[in-house]
Amino acid sequence: MKIFWRLVLCAAVISLSVWLWTVFFPAPEKVIRHRLAKLAEDVSFDSDQGSLSRLAGGESVAGFFSTNVEITINVPGQEQATFASRAEITQAALGAREKIKSLSVKFPDADVTLAPDKLSAVADVTVDAAVSGERDAIVQELKISFQKTEDGWLITRLETVRPLR
Amino acid sequence: MSAQTETTSPPRHGWLRVMAIGRNPRNTVVRILILVAGCFVVFKFIMLPLRVTGISMEPTYKDRSINFLNRLAYLTHEPRRGDVVSIRYAGPHVVLMKRIVGLPGETIEFIHGIVFINGSPLAEPYKKNPSDWTLPPEVIGPDEYFVVGDNRDMPAHDHVFGRVERARILGKVLL
Repeated sequence: MKIFWRLVLCAAVISLSVWLWTVFFPAPEKVIRHRLAKLAEDVSFDSDQGSLSRLAGGESVAGFFSTNVEITINVPGQEQATFASRAEITQAALGAREKIKSLSVKFPDADVTLAPDKLSAVADVTVDAAVSGERDAIVQELKISFQKTEDGWLITRLETVRPLR
Repeated sequence: MSAQTETTSPPRHGWLRVMAIGRNPRNTVVRILILVAGCFVVFKFIMLPLRVTGISMEPTYKDRSINFLNRLAYLTHEPRRGDVVSIRYAGPHVVLMKRIVGLPGETIEFIHGIVFINGSPLAEPYKKNPSDWTLPPEVIGPDEYFVVGDNRDMPAHDHVFGRVERARILGKVLL
């Protein structure tokens, strides 16, 4: 019986160590998923938000992107939108906050593939966006390229993918 | 010598307890665990529940109706014309629901709302509303299917349709 309890204790210690290791040294895929969740949170805004918090939210969105970012977005029925700098992203985020009452963005699926050098990664993401006043949600697939920098994982390229051609 | 004639009768449980947890609680727990595990496997990997949003498949599938996706439907054969299928984006949590009208290698064309496959009109009994779509001929690739919704009285530019790779088809809609 003593051996049994020793084995149980050993297994518990090993499990706790593995869990602590993943908490303090998370895998890059996990870091990128967490970053995507934070991006969705920052892009979203509510009608109850004050103007200051809307401004802060709009400006924080740009921090997820690298300075030489390339963004190409094609939404059916809309003109293609392109952004090539953090300033343009901030402007677009603030513009959206002025035009739309509320926006809720979620990434229900995110498939992250790390490059062999572990310094870049590509995430295939489903974006599900609910805009106030619109009956149907906007659903798109995005291909997002990440680069590991001193400031963490930053988005260098973002483009929409059409599942149907 | 005396023989013992006393017999032990099984313990009698209250009817409420029998109804709630059965005569043998251990067996009931095992049955519940098997049922939960079975439901988890079936509804997570085989028969995925779907909630329809949008009007592109009306009148066959109403907005906000519930359905199931059979992920094993295409284990033994490839998708067929007329099948309603689910098409994934980056993963299985949000999917498109469309009907297959064109098969690999075929040429598809829409003329005044009628679908032509390799020059012959396609009978579509599921399409109830009139349509005026006219689209140029398109050749479907060897590993592609042409999918479209049943509701074609809406303008073509508001409708998501086109060629889809086989790998994106997750399964067949059950009902």
